[in-house]
Amino acid sequence: MNNQIGDTDTDTDVSTDTSTDSELGTTAGVETSTTTTAGESEEQVRDEWTDYRFDAPAKLSVEDLDVWYGDDHALKDVSMEIPEESVTALIGPSGCGKSTYLRCLNRMNDRIKAARIEGSVELDGMEIYDPNTNLVELRKRIGMVFQSPNPFPKSIRDNISYGPRKHGDINKGLLARLFGRDDSEKEAELVERSLRQAALWDEVNDRLDDNALGLSGGQQQRLCIARCLAVDPEVILMDEPASALDPIATSKIEDLVTELAEDYTVVIVTHNMQQAARISDQTAVFLTGGELVEYDDTDKIFENPESQRVEDYITGKFG
Amino acid sequence: MSERYARENELVSAESNLYDKAMDVAIALSIVTFVVGMITFADAVPLGATGTELVNFFAALLGVVVGGTGIVAVFSYANVIPITSQRVRGVAMGLLVSAVGLTLAAFVLPVSLATMLGLVMLLEAGLLVAAGVVSRLGLVDTAPSMTAGLLAGVVFGIIGALVGAVIVGSLPGLDAAVPGVPVWLLGAIVLGVGFGALAIVPREDLGSTLPAALIIGLLGVTIATAVIGVGWQWTPENLSGGFTGGSVIPVFVLFGSLLASWSAAKCRADFGARGRQYGAFFVINLNAFLMVAIMAAIVVFVTVKGVGWAFHDFSIGALSLLVVLTPILVLTAQHARAPAGTDEWHSAARQFFRVVPLAAVGSLAALLLGIIVTGTTFEIPYQYAILVDRSTVMLDTAFRVTPSLTVGNLLIIVSGAILFTYFLRRYGSLRNVGTEYERLSLVRQGVPAAVGLLGLLSLVYVVIGPVLDNIGIGPVLGLGVATLGAVVVAAFALVPLGALVTGEGTLAERAHESAQLLNVGLFSGIALLMAVIVLEWTAVSNPQLGPVAPVPVVALVAAVSSLCIAALVARARRSTDDTLRRRVLGDEVTLALAAATGYVTLVGLHVAATSESTFALGPVEVGINGSLSWPTVLQGAIPLGQAPGGIYPAIIGTIWIVIGASLFAVPLGLGAAVFLTEYAEQGRFTELVEIATNALWSTPSIVFGLFGAAFLIPRLGNSLSLLAAQLTLSFMLLPLVLITSREAIKSVPDEYRDASAALGVDRWTTIRSVVIPAAMPGVVTGVILGVGRIAGETAPLILVLGSEIDATTAVDVLGGFAFTTTPPFITNEALLGSSAALPTQVWGIITAGVSGSPSKGWATAFMLLVVVLSFYAVGITARTYFRRKINYE
Repeated sequence: MNNQIGDTDTDTDVSTDTSTDSELGTTAGVETSTTTTAGESEEQVRDEWTDYRFDAPAKLSVEDLDVWYGDDHALKDVSMEIPEESVTALIGPSGCGKSTYLRCLNRMNDRIKAARIEGSVELDGMEIYDPNTNLVELRKRIGMVFQSPNPFPKSIRDNISYGPRKHGDINKGLLARLFGRDDSEKEAELVERSLRQAALWDEVNDRLDDNALGLSGGQQQRLCIARCLAVDPEVILMDEPASALDPIATSKIEDLVTELAEDYTVVIVTHNMQQAARISDQTAVFLTGGELVEYDDTDKIFENPESQRVEDYITGKFG
Repeated sequence: MSERYARENELVSAESNLYDKAMDVAIALSIVTFVVGMITFADAVPLGATGTELVNFFAALLGVVVGGTGIVAVFSYANVIPITSQRVRGVAMGLLVSAVGLTLAAFVLPVSLATMLGLVMLLEAGLLVAAGVVSRLGLVDTAPSMTAGLLAGVVFGIIGALVGAVIVGSLPGLDAAVPGVPVWLLGAIVLGVGFGALAIVPREDLGSTLPAALIIGLLGVTIATAVIGVGWQWTPENLSGGFTGGSVIPVFVLFGSLLASWSAAKCRADFGARGRQYGAFFVINLNAFLMVAIMAAIVVFVTVKGVGWAFHDFSIGALSLLVVLTPILVLTAQHARAPAGTDEWHSAARQFFRVVPLAAVGSLAALLLGIIVTGTTFEIPYQYAILVDRSTVMLDTAFRVTPSLTVGNLLIIVSGAILFTYFLRRYGSLRNVGTEYERLSLVRQGVPAAVGLLGLLSLVYVVIGPVLDNIGIGPVLGLGVATLGAVVVAAFALVPLGALVTGEGTLAERAHESAQLLNVGLFSGIALLMAVIVLEWTAVSNPQLGPVAPVPVVALVAAVSSLCIAALVARARRSTDDTLRRRVLGDEVTLALAAATGYVTLVGLHVAATSESTFALGPVEVGINGSLSWPTVLQGAIPLGQAPGGIYPAIIGTIWIVIGASLFAVPLGLGAAVFLTEYAEQGRFTELVEIATNALWSTPSIVFGLFGAAFLIPRLGNSLSLLAAQLTLSFMLLPLVLITSREAIKSVPDEYRDASAALGVDRWTTIRSVVIPAAMPGVVTGVILGVGRIAGETAPLILVLGSEIDATTAVDVLGGFAFTTTPPFITNEALLGSSAALPTQVWGIITAGVSGSPSKGWATAFMLLVVVLSFYAVGITARTYFRRKINYE
């Protein structure tokens, strides 16, 4: 059984909703394969399709990752390595498990009570599903940007400095001020650096004390990226960051992602195949059933995919 | 039929025809009758009024209507508030016609008000029948549905059944038409079915007019023929009192006019969907109006009864009132400054309306200044009755505004602090503007250090003050340091002014250049002087240099200097065109104003800190005690005294009860809500807690009182006590705070929590810095509602606090704390003792019968109302603050 559930962009309370959208696919086991998404042809997934080799060191390596939501097997036996300082796009139809996969990389799925995760994810060779993992440190290193812009109802400045402040890197409390250890200067630098990195500084530098909710959708999303950058992560996970935005804002975000890849490892989920083709270095295609079907250089995936199903999906025959 | 009716459905029907106009008049007439019904219900005009009295009443009504519609008409004509809707215009014309008609009728007809109302209802019924018939015959173009609908049928059926039961039951000789069945039941069934059928069977235009007209007509006939007249009385056997025409007729009139407005509105909007909407609009609005009128009546009633005693011998100095007025003046000025839109000519009119509040407050201020200058006391004398030794005594008293120039320090501090925070919040930032002098950074570091040192010194005085005094350096040190501080502050205040006045370039350039000087000077001055005043307080020292006290003088000089800066910079700003510079200078003006009000606040604080002295500057005096004299609120009861005495102890008691209960319930409720929503597994347990809290919220208050009396009091010293009252009421407050806080926390979007978690922030920090701030407006709403309930709660208080009515002294909760060397180490006599409270005092006076003076009870009830409304005001301000904080308006 698998369905819509894998896509947990919006619903965190997955357990309540286990069998929507039956037409989207009810496969008992994909290898032996019966029905799939309408129009999807049947085939066996071969290991070599996902065996992507690259020269750079792997930032994240995922081995045999399985995720269940209650009884739903949302992600099946996924293994992939993500190279450093590059953009990795995850594409696939709704309910294929790509967002679930993304949320496994910084253990955001821990926040869903019904989720059960098996397998291994290593960040720079360190297992993140170790029982003794420091979640604060992990999420500082692997930042995340969500589908819909979600700035806090605070000022732009406070949004950016929220993470560092709560981690104790910036101290602006009353006591700090009294004892002259006020980090206002440091905060100002951090805010400016993060906003510049997120290509937002020129638009908001004269109203840092205004509420972030007053920004436009595209600006809010870039603010969320800046907020994520402020804690100085190594990896940035993006869950369809441009899906709620207009074309101009989308193109700004895309430019930004390309730029960020020079210093950060970016993993981005997207529904938009042109977007994946434009900005990513390598692309992983998830298809119905929560399986990783093909993972390779973006050019290879889009021009000459091994899997018939991937080709059908990319050319728009289903999905 | 005009040509307009040849078309089936007009898209825009700009012109009203005669039918529409007649229906407008019918609607307006029913509105007028409704209002008159309310007036007679409140007994403001007797139903038996005839002749001149009646004419005068309707003439007054006509005046009100002419005034109201007239001013709207003038504004409409002047295009300020353009009224373009034909219906609104029609109703306004109808109101005029009705008022004129009623006045003429009162002049011509020799009848009483009751008869007149009956006749008007008959007229309305006639109009409705005519409208329905005209529409049915197709003489006008309407769009009625096939039937008035089942709902209307049921309602009319029920009304018909009631009417039938009454009529048939009251007719003689019909007793045993059918044996075994009560005759009223037959009547009820026949008329009920008849009315229901009359509403349902015919087309809508008849179905919604005929039954309504019948009922209204019937009520009208009953009143007009004096079947139920003014003198009518019905005394049921087992009641000691009875129902009189005086109370029944207004109810008939209110009901009839409500029905008439519904029916007439349906006719006016041509029946059908629009008709139903328009009819419902009138019924709902008149209903809401009635509710508001009832609530207002309660408040007005209590006020009228209680205000006499409450303001006995009230007097206040004109200058004090001016101080109170200043924040309002600033706010209205700000309101007037806000942009008024485009440069069209009617935006000029809008500007006019923006300045109206400012003009009103300004003229009030001028009046107060006039009182001060001329030295005459403004006085409103009045008298009211109290009961002394079972006999009524009329007391002469007056409401006075004296030309006194004494202002209490509390008033200065409150007004000043409000203005200071106001300006400070409006002040943006002067960061990186102007020249950064080298020495400024020295000052920036030095002043906090100096403030810290002064704070430390104050602390030293608190701890070992007596020792310092004994070895003789205490007073000298305090005096020296305070004086030195004052001198430095004077420098801080004057240097920016100097920089502004002297130097090169234009005034605007100098102001721009010296922005940092201004910023540092003003802030440092206030901080330093504040620290000096704290030192004065702890060192019990009031430095005097010869005849002058340096601290308040410096504060005043600094305030004047800041005002000068504000004025100069504002002038410079006028002559600047550069946008950036204008903004900088605007910020400087706000900052200087903030500083000026801050320094004035400090004068008040100085007087409060050096408690035994007052500070006088010429005739103006800032005193410990202001010029307010309000015996009712500021004094206790005077045993065996001549004057009526006051209810201060009860007010203080109520305030402490509310504060204590909130202090206990709010953190506990909020904490429980956070646990239940954020931490606890959602399931059986949380459901159970939810049911339990809801049940607790609807538990009768007397049960809480019994619990307090039987459980708390034996464990808290076995006597009626304030602490027991606070705890009992906090138990009542707890469920509401819990319920509303839970809802508020639940409604905080999960995205915030996700975002925070993705930044690696732990759960508790997320709750503290994101969830609770976002939930705060909801939490405050719950607290407001709860406080409103417990502040007036009486039953449990009688059991746990008693019902004292003549308390002479108020509880001193803060001063009651005492430290002991043996456990429990801290005691509080006041909390463990009983106290007066407003609701229990009202109850006590009622039950005391003749020995309690009713006017004291009313005054207490009035003050209770005021106290509760003040808590509301505080709560609403807090909620607005938190909302603004979230929404950043």
